[in-house]
Amino acid sequence: MLSLAWRNVWRNFRRSLITTASMGCGLAAIMFGQSMILTEQHQLVEKATGSITGHIQIQAKHIKEFKFPDKYVDDDKKIEEALKSQPEVLAYGKRIHITGLISSPTGSVGVFISGVEPLREPKVTTMASYLVKGQYLPGPKTIMIGDKLAQRLDIRLGEKVVVMAQADDGSMGAEAYRVAGLFHTGSTSFDGQIIYVPLAAVQELLATGTHVNNFVVKLRDIDEVDRVQQELAEKLHNLPVQVLSWKNVDHEILAIQKFQNALLFIVLVIVFAIVALGILNTLLMSMFERVREFGVLMAIGAKPRWVLKLVLLESITLGLVGTAMGLVAGGAMIAYFSHVGLPLPIGDALSYFIPFPSVLFLRWAWGQHLFAAGVILFTSVVAAIPPALRACRLRPAEALRHV
Amino acid sequence: MSKPALIEVRGVTKVYAAESKVAALSRLSLEFTEGEFTAIAGPSGSGKSTLLNIIGTIDQPTEGEVLCKGRVISGLPTDQAADFRLHSLGFVFQAYNLIPVLTAVENVEYPLVLQNVPKHERRARALEALASVSLREFADRMPNNLSGGQQQRVAVARSIVHRPAVVLADEPTANLDSKTGAALLDLMQALNRDKGVTFLFSSHDPAVLERARRVVRMHDGRLADSAEIAQ
Repeated sequence: MLSLAWRNVWRNFRRSLITTASMGCGLAAIMFGQSMILTEQHQLVEKATGSITGHIQIQAKHIKEFKFPDKYVDDDKKIEEALKSQPEVLAYGKRIHITGLISSPTGSVGVFISGVEPLREPKVTTMASYLVKGQYLPGPKTIMIGDKLAQRLDIRLGEKVVVMAQADDGSMGAEAYRVAGLFHTGSTSFDGQIIYVPLAAVQELLATGTHVNNFVVKLRDIDEVDRVQQELAEKLHNLPVQVLSWKNVDHEILAIQKFQNALLFIVLVIVFAIVALGILNTLLMSMFERVREFGVLMAIGAKPRWVLKLVLLESITLGLVGTAMGLVAGGAMIAYFSHVGLPLPIGDALSYFIPFPSVLFLRWAWGQHLFAAGVILFTSVVAAIPPALRACRLRPAEALRHV
Repeated sequence: MSKPALIEVRGVTKVYAAESKVAALSRLSLEFTEGEFTAIAGPSGSGKSTLLNIIGTIDQPTEGEVLCKGRVISGLPTDQAADFRLHSLGFVFQAYNLIPVLTAVENVEYPLVLQNVPKHERRARALEALASVSLREFADRMPNNLSGGQQQRVAVARSIVHRPAVVLADEPTANLDSKTGAALLDLMQALNRDKGVTFLFSSHDPAVLERARRVVRMHDGRLADSAEIAQ
């Protein structure tokens, strides 16, 4: 039966080729879309967590805006003990975040001040890697700013700037820092609005003692984040802190992911509907052309369920060939763009907010690719049911009279 | 002592549409015995094909019944009727009706495929059947590379490969020229004579009818005459 089904499929070579090619193109397009979105999402998470968020943050309880924690964390010794006891933790650092004003002799700009530990922070985030001039916070009164901000303030490496921020007691703290490093991330927000100062200097500026706003944690494997978050939360449940994952802090990334996944799903459904209609059309045409043949097969003793199986098998054959074509074509496209990279305009848009490359090096999403291939195959079976039922319900005598 | 009936047609009436007043077959009763070489004759619309279809269980009588070796075969459930055809009947159609994507030998062995006969055995039997119609050397040809007469001989080989009780042939020579038609009849006669294959075939061609050992004449769905022909 398999041999007959295979030959039946290719008796109208052009029609079957068009059908399988349309299935293949659909699957390849879906695979490409899946890969592109997965890569973009992966890079989005990687860049967001790598540049500022980290994988896990420990903040004071009852903070509503997780991105800008405005309360202090006490008893950091117990937090550090808990972090050190988690083997999944690769590195962590303490931070203070606050808004303030940076001034040069030529002007002032409102900025986001990030007080970081100069030795630990480079192990948690990649900001040090964006340094284009100077050093990464080499001394207690040094500062690292973006090249756009330096341009705006007309400041060069080694010159002094004054940073002002409101201290805990309500007074305005002001301190002069030497510009030790200039960075360039390509992100307008980072390069023009964020400054990095040693944590101790910010604590002194704000007169907060040893308090910090949050602990930022980098894990060895981001996929462990939910479990580690849970375990840390259990260990720290006696402290007035909350353990947040990047999903809590960068919840808009999840929203983007959900939106993109929904969009991909809609495209997937449309492609599969087109594929299903193509198969249905091919099989119906094939069935009507072969009514007499089905009559002959039934006359010589084929049972209706045998005819049903034959038509389904023909459709599965079409599905398998189309799927194989799609996997090869989609795989080739992904392999190519994983090597040479895919320039993506969305990269420029996203890089306004975070450092984001405008070229995507596509990644394989094998789980999703195989799911799509499975759905294509499933679609080919479902689409074959109406013509198969029609064929198996033929009456041999009438079918033999069919012209 | 006369031979027991192989096929019995008892009071068969066939009306195609419920509202139609005209019956394709009307209270027809007939018997056929094993080893017959019988022609069913009559003009177009006389009910020849309908009779063969009903004997072949691919159509059902409106009234009456058909028996094969004493077993009622009319009104069998679909799967049982298919099983009956698969094991007891062979069909030869007017328009050859070979499966175009299968070679000659694959066409011939298809009833054996449906019977789940092991591959090596069915191939050997199919080649034997092809040899009996003198087409052994054309076994690997596709139907479109065979002449009309050769295709019909392949169809005859397909109809006998599973050693059925009876072969039903509906106007088997109608699409063939007279010389090829005569050759096909020679072949059918030889199979009947040498291998004891029972043939019931329809025709309105006098040249064909004179080759039959018995001619059943039909008119307007009724039996007009049934006569043994002296050879």
